[in-house]
Amino acid sequence: MRLAFILSEIGSGLRRNLSMVVSVILVTFVSLTFVGAAGMLQMQINQMKGYWYDKVQVAIFLCSEGSTAAGCAGGPVTSEQQESLNTLLESPAVAQYINDFQFESKEEAYKHFKDQFSNSPIVDSVTPDQLPASFRINMKDPQKYEIISETFSSQPGVETVIDQRQLLERLFSVMNGASLVAVSIAGVMIVCAILLIATTIRLSAFSRRRETGIMRLVGASKTVIQLPFILEGVIAAVIGAALASATLWAVSHFFLGEFMSRQYPDTAFISSGQTLILAPALLILGASLAGISSLLTLRRYLRV
Amino acid sequence: MPCRVLRAMIRFENVTKVYDQTTRPALDSVNLEIDRGEFAFLVGASGSGKSTFLRLVLKEDRATSGAVYVAGQNVAKISSWRVPRLRRGIGVVFQDFRLLPQKNVFANVAFAMQVIGKSRSVIRDTVPEVLKTVGLEGKEHRMPHELSGGEQQRVAIARAVVNRPGILLADEPTGNLDPTTSMGIMGVLDKINQNGTTVVMATHDDDIVNEMRKRVVELRNGVVIRDEAKALYTSMIPVVGQSRRLKDASGRENPETGVPGDGREGEAQR
Ligand SMILES: Nc1ncnc2c1ncn2[C@@H]1O[C@H](COP(=O)(O)OP(=O)(O)O)[C@@H](O)[C@H]1O
Ligand SMILES: [Mg+2]
Repeated sequence: MRLAFILSEIGSGLRRNLSMVVSVILVTFVSLTFVGAAGMLQMQINQMKGYWYDKVQVAIFLCSEGSTAAGCAGGPVTSEQQESLNTLLESPAVAQYINDFQFESKEEAYKHFKDQFSNSPIVDSVTPDQLPASFRINMKDPQKYEIISETFSSQPGVETVIDQRQLLERLFSVMNGASLVAVSIAGVMIVCAILLIATTIRLSAFSRRRETGIMRLVGASKTVIQLPFILEGVIAAVIGAALASATLWAVSHFFLGEFMSRQYPDTAFISSGQTLILAPALLILGASLAGISSLLTLRRYLRV
Repeated sequence: MPCRVLRAMIRFENVTKVYDQTTRPALDSVNLEIDRGEFAFLVGASGSGKSTFLRLVLKEDRATSGAVYVAGQNVAKISSWRVPRLRRGIGVVFQDFRLLPQKNVFANVAFAMQVIGKSRSVIRDTVPEVLKTVGLEGKEHRMPHELSGGEQQRVAIARAVVNRPGILLADEPTGNLDPTTSMGIMGVLDKINQNGTTVVMATHDDDIVNEMRKRVVELRNGVVIRDEAKALYTSMIPVVGQSRRLKDASGRENPETGVPGDGREGEAQR
């Protein structure tokens, strides 16, 4: 009976305050979407780290036809130079730092390039000659990149030594920056959401002061009096959180899953399933935002 | 002593209520006992402290000093989560009825039961019974705006007593009603009192008080200046001589306060 009563009170409260409730839904929706976007960026960074870190680490590019680097004065790499680099990689001084290495010929590089840019017209204008051969080194400790760089940069036949992790790190720092921006926007929006929820609850309590006054006089408990107002805010915020979760799911499913992964088939994007992990967190966050802000409001505006 | 506290449904021990430090107290050292099953009028000019008295019984406000006992319990010692239980034992009606305009008669009365978790079947049985007690049978489905003032006040009384409180507090319940309708309301309150409920009614309606011949407690500027059984209403602006004459007539002892300089104080207040 009491539950049915509380539910009907919530229903009438939501109806009476419809426009405010809709704005609470929208504000929590937008703020939690930004929170979720920051979460998705972090998940994507972790995903890429896991995927790339043990695949690409250090690449030693060898001189090819048009190389202009200092070490390439003698023209394209000769097979003796390549052989001595291979020996050097296998020597104990270097081998102690690496797990393994592979040689990637011009043809293999071309094949990888074609795979990676399969749906881009650039493929047609590139020939195997234009792509350098390379040694791909998997480091035991990626931090020891300097040693490999110092050892090999000055070797004849080496055009350049690149720590591919550094390229990734640069990408990750851009993504981290983006998630920081998202978190800041989310912070501002959350403040808006809290204030708006507080105002909504206050208006709602004011518009029903006659009922609550009577409830107080006939001895209704604090829970029965306050719960409808608190749940009103919580329900609106949870709807906002659900919309935010659905939006994030749609972004990962349609934008990342269908569009981006076709554009960058080599990159592991987070799946829509992974994004759904964020949903419970957003729902809890939304509900507790509303719960706390309405509790604080009611303490001041709804005497029991 | 504990025995007396239990017999008294409401007991004020030296109660003072100060709302605002800069003005005189709303209630000033009030000592009063109202017994179980009694019917008492609280009379006095407006501003004399009648509503404050009722609010202290309900624990709507806290006494500045002194102690208020309701059914033997010091209300100051009731923790806030148990205040609702205190209020379930007290029904209240006001001059302005305070009905919910969008609910019909039945729903207005049922509301008081719903919010304390009574079951649907108990509500279905109890509400018509109480509506009959207040003389509103057959009007269950009327909306408040379809009722006369007297009928609206009957709905409010039904709502106040539907949970069978031991005490009914009425704050000027006839203040908005014409004399005939008022007498009808008094009949209802008397009937409720006959059924064992302690009734305290604040009023400045002299006709009603004179008609009913019940106990009269008169307040002036927060001080009890008269407490008489089966009494009459004094004039709204009593003069010293008049209050003395009535006191003599009643034979009851009156507190010394409020006798000298009464008229002047009353004027300053208005
Ligand atoms: N909430 C309040 N705050 C400040 N003063 C109040 C408040 N309620 C009543 N008073 C003052 O207390 C005195 C008694 O008021 P009240 O108990 O309402 O008298 P009555 O009901 O007899 O008209 C009055 O002087 C009134 O102005
Ligand atoms: Mg009053």
